[in-house]
Amino acid sequence: MAQAHRTPQPRAAPSQPRAFKLVLLGSGSVGKSSLALRYVKNDFKNILPTVGCAFFTKVVDVGTASLKLEIWDTAGQEKYHSVCHLYFRGANAALLVYDITRKDSFLKAQQWLKDLEKELHPEEVLVMLVGNKTDLSEEREVTFQEGKEFAESQKLLFMETSAKLNYQVSEVFSAVAQELLQRDDREGQAPQGDAAVALNEGPARQAKCCAH
Amino acid sequence: MEYEDKAGRPSKPPSPKQNVRKNLDFEPLSTTALILEDRPANLPAKPAEEAQKHRQQYEEMVVQAKKRELKEAQRRKKQLEERCRVEESIGNAVLTWNNEILPNWETMWCSRKVRDLWWQGIPPSVRGKVWSLAIGNELNITHELFDICLARAKERWRSLSTGGSEVENEDAGFSAADREASLELIKLDISRTFPNLCIFQQGGPYHDMLHSILGAYTCYRPDVGYVQGMSFIAAVLILNLDTADAFIAFSNLLNKPCQMAFFRVDHGLMLTYFAAFEVFFEENLPKLFAHFKKNNLTPDIYLIDWIFTLYSKSLPLDLACRIWDVFCRDGEEFLFRTALGILKLFEDILTKMDFIHMAQFLTRLPEDLPAEELFASIATIQMQSRNKKWAQVLTALQKDSREMEKGSPSLRH
Repeated sequence: MAQAHRTPQPRAAPSQPRAFKLVLLGSGSVGKSSLALRYVKNDFKNILPTVGCAFFTKVVDVGTASLKLEIWDTAGQEKYHSVCHLYFRGANAALLVYDITRKDSFLKAQQWLKDLEKELHPEEVLVMLVGNKTDLSEEREVTFQEGKEFAESQKLLFMETSAKLNYQVSEVFSAVAQELLQRDDREGQAPQGDAAVALNEGPARQAKCCAH
Repeated sequence: MEYEDKAGRPSKPPSPKQNVRKNLDFEPLSTTALILEDRPANLPAKPAEEAQKHRQQYEEMVVQAKKRELKEAQRRKKQLEERCRVEESIGNAVLTWNNEILPNWETMWCSRKVRDLWWQGIPPSVRGKVWSLAIGNELNITHELFDICLARAKERWRSLSTGGSEVENEDAGFSAADREASLELIKLDISRTFPNLCIFQQGGPYHDMLHSILGAYTCYRPDVGYVQGMSFIAAVLILNLDTADAFIAFSNLLNKPCQMAFFRVDHGLMLTYFAAFEVFFEENLPKLFAHFKKNNLTPDIYLIDWIFTLYSKSLPLDLACRIWDVFCRDGEEFLFRTALGILKLFEDILTKMDFIHMAQFLTRLPEDLPAEELFASIATIQMQSRNKKWAQVLTALQKDSREMEKGSPSLRH
């Protein structure tokens, strides 16, 4: 089924920003699609449950560089678990989303981490833990501290958000984008063959027209 | 729009026939607003030449405006006539379905004439009836059985809300926690089922029906349970059938091999369905197929949503119902034929896109997808590959995958 989009991704033309695959994982109704929608379209509405996978893209500027996030928004229900496995293959980053008012969703996020680690090397995929729905903090079941401690123990990035109130949503994606670029530069090797060359050419690549 | 009536909203437009009788709509009215007035008395009068020029310009303006209005009126008249024609043909179809087809169902349903009428869409007033008949009731579910399942579901909801954990032990293998999670999820999903219609949400007229059907189903089939996507199927049935009949249709529909494979998330079998789909994809749309392959766009990306919800989430509701019409008649094959029809309809756009944009496009189809064009496109799709029909291709692939599984279990996944 969904082939791993890991190794050389031929679909981005060299003149375009490098593309990174980010996958949203977590229990049903924790706000995965809402986070994506808020981030990409700055909108918040009653979203239909995701069946299978939904897709978003956004170009993010980080300093002088820019990158394209391809967001794979997966279905949350436990039963779809095996299907989701197909989707996180080849991911460069994963957001493990839970609902701060539901302890079970926090535990589920930890489960997702285990699954991720089974299939991907920690160096391969950047993982961020995201506690969503801070607007419902009176009903909170998972404290900020709990989330933070778990994230630190596993060396994950961590943030709390509210897709509804637009609290720290773009920060989450920016943090991931920044870290992706840094990791990439450290490794001196981009996830896509020709795109890496384009990066080394610096800002000049924008002016070049060599799409095909 | 037939659902608005059921929802009890008073937004029904006046019947077009009334409009025709009044006939006021087609008279140019607004030209009276264009009036040439003389210059006010306290200003010097226009020279005769200029006055003449202005009068001429004024007359030209009036002529132009009249022309525009006449054109607009004609357009509206045509639109109205078209609507009348459609309503009349629906009216006629209702008569045919009620008086000729339904009383003679067994002998008539597969006749050429009925097939043609069926393809054009079943009128909403008989739709539920026809769906029920076409889906059948292989499982022999009675209204009493529905009541029993519903009563058990209600018991569970009660014990859940009172925090009672001594739930009976009979469904071994399905943990209480599992069941609890799925009851929670049903609640969450009901509020997210066709939210724009505002009829399934808490307090809406169909909320309890939807809740009942999904709850009863988890008691009827604890081995399948509630799977996201089901709420949409149940909702579409509720819009066309009474609760108990909707439950019967729902259970029988989900019991079909393709639906069982998907709702049990039987991975291997789902892959077989996708493989069969690809055989017909390549046969019908070789260029697009190659483009998808090149971009690593696998069918699961778009088919999972389409098949799980039987298009009710991805297509406009009226159009989805028309797909259901033929699906009830032709079975699973039509779901995949529809998918190919959609791909063909958008072939030109898709060939210009890269992976992520195609994935985005296909998981969020245009909201104004035209029904007639889609059906015309579906009609051109041949469900035959090297003289093999859908079922034959599927069976052959199933056999292959079973043999492969035996040979090397590690290849599974």
